[in-house]
Amino acid sequence: MLARSPLGALVRWVAGIRVSLHTKLMSAFLIVTLLFIAMAFVNVRTALGTATQSRQLDEAHQRVAWSQQIEQALARQMHFSVLALLSQDEAAIGKILRENNRFNETLAKLDAAGLREQHGLVEQVRASQDEAMSVVADMANAIRDRNLGNVTRDLLDQQERLDGEITTRVAQLVDTEQKRMASLRDSIASANRESLVTTAAFSAAAVALAWLCGFVISWSFIVPVREAQEFLTKIAAGNLSQRIEVRNGDEFGALAQSMNHMSAELARLDQIKRDAANELSRLNTRLEQASRAKSEFLANMSHELRTPLNAILGFTEMMVDGLYGELPDELKEPLTDVQINGKHLLRLINEVLDLAKIEAGRMELALREYSAAEIVASVRASLRSLAADKDLAFETEVPDDLPPARGDGGRLTQCLMNLAGNALKFTRSGGVRIGVKCHADELIYRVSDTGIGIPPEELQNVFAEFRQVDATVTRQFGGTGLGLSISKKFIEMHGGRIWVESKVGEGSTFYFSVPLRVGEATA
Amino acid sequence: MNDRTILYIEDNEFNRKIVRQLLSRTSYRLKEAVDGEAGVAQALEAPPDLILMDVQLPKMSGLDATRVLRRDERTKHIPIVVITSFALSGDRERATEAGAAGYLAKPYSPRELLALVRQFLPE
Repeated sequence: MLARSPLGALVRWVAGIRVSLHTKLMSAFLIVTLLFIAMAFVNVRTALGTATQSRQLDEAHQRVAWSQQIEQALARQMHFSVLALLSQDEAAIGKILRENNRFNETLAKLDAAGLREQHGLVEQVRASQDEAMSVVADMANAIRDRNLGNVTRDLLDQQERLDGEITTRVAQLVDTEQKRMASLRDSIASANRESLVTTAAFSAAAVALAWLCGFVISWSFIVPVREAQEFLTKIAAGNLSQRIEVRNGDEFGALAQSMNHMSAELARLDQIKRDAANELSRLNTRLEQASRAKSEFLANMSHELRTPLNAILGFTEMMVDGLYGELPDELKEPLTDVQINGKHLLRLINEVLDLAKIEAGRMELALREYSAAEIVASVRASLRSLAADKDLAFETEVPDDLPPARGDGGRLTQCLMNLAGNALKFTRSGGVRIGVKCHADELIYRVSDTGIGIPPEELQNVFAEFRQVDATVTRQFGGTGLGLSISKKFIEMHGGRIWVESKVGEGSTFYFSVPLRVGEATA
Repeated sequence: MNDRTILYIEDNEFNRKIVRQLLSRTSYRLKEAVDGEAGVAQALEAPPDLILMDVQLPKMSGLDATRVLRRDERTKHIPIVVITSFALSGDRERATEAGAAGYLAKPYSPRELLALVRQFLPE
């Protein structure tokens, strides 16, 4: 709404001015302040004019007062004149002269303070007074000469005529002054009214201007702030290729430019990040391919290794069995050593092959019915002679009522064989117990020994590939270190898990659990 | 004298030599073939009493050869022992599916092989 109104255009214009926010605000305050100063100037001028007129009014009042004194002096002069004539006393003449002096003094003040146009009237009054004083002189002469009888009437008539003239002229003076006073009063009243109107008008204009400046400047700030907020919200939402349009010529414009730089930089960094992620994912795919190729190669290589090994073991066995004739005693031991080492090599190759198969994703379980008791029995049968050679007890624990199980019996045999083989390998005295039990719908196989044990910090590493507790153990006891990690993978493929509890010097117990019926929907 | 014939189909010279020497002390007569196609041809031409079939053979795989021989009237009654070099899960199943009567994983012990032969073909 604001955007399309004239006020909106004004806001945009103010926003676009290329000065700082500080300057804009100070300019607005200055404009309003100047308006107030102008108002004060006009009011002072009006007040000065009114003061002059008031003084003129006071002066006019003073002149009217003097005129009244003149009238009084004239009245007393008249009174004493009549008294002098009636009493024929020269002393009354003296009083007349005193009143005359007072009259003249007052008239002189009036003349000095009076206006130029009144000077003529004052001169006329003075002339009449001078004439009246010559009549008084005549009176004084007549009294001294005792000659009053003839002239009294005449002198009184003259005095009355002159008195009338002076009274009329003084009244004229007073009248002029009063007119002037009335005009001054009107003028002062009108000046006061004007002053009031001016003050009101300036105040209203100043308030309106202050509001307008406030409105326009604040909106010129609010608009970019809102734009910036919207912009930042979008940026925060991950929409990095945003641009902000702020046409302000002030700090907000600079801020918007910085924000645009920021978003461009963010978009650039984001692109770099995306490129890197793509590159990484591409490399990862290539690595996976390479890893699979390596595993395939290992699988094939293991097969190639086993073919000559088959011949070596076959010929050796036939020699030991006397197929080629009676074996000389001195060859029996070395040929048995060839057999033992050949079988060891075979086991290593098998483990490498298994791991390669698993990693290449080509290992599949052959699920079918099997007997857990048979697994334990076959492991015992295979390892019995090894236990006997080391003079170790080797016992089994199998309940009679095991339910039929389903899974890859061959692989589970391999796992139990591996654990039991390790147990025998790492035990010097005491014995090894292997067993199985059914718990809920799981089979839990167990191999415990009285061997060297595993330090706590190594417990989570025993199932990692190529790990044995330390390198010297490998040299002492043999093995690839792959057996446990392969077992772990077979067990996990069954949906089971493997774990170990151990105490250094006391022995270890390995457990693995697998579902009783693998590959069947449980009820 | 026993004149029962065993056909051994195997491409590796040394493995053939082992079986040859192993059976030389017995009454079995050994015939040899070096690839799947030759083995099938020999078996059809003069059906033996037992066939030892390696899985990985040139020209025709041991499993394919087994299937061919199972389908043919002349050979379908002859027991076939499949010898594989992969002791892997599923190999035994695949061999049985193809029609093998027995299964042996390499590397086998000559003793085991002889025992298996005697099981199918008593001397």
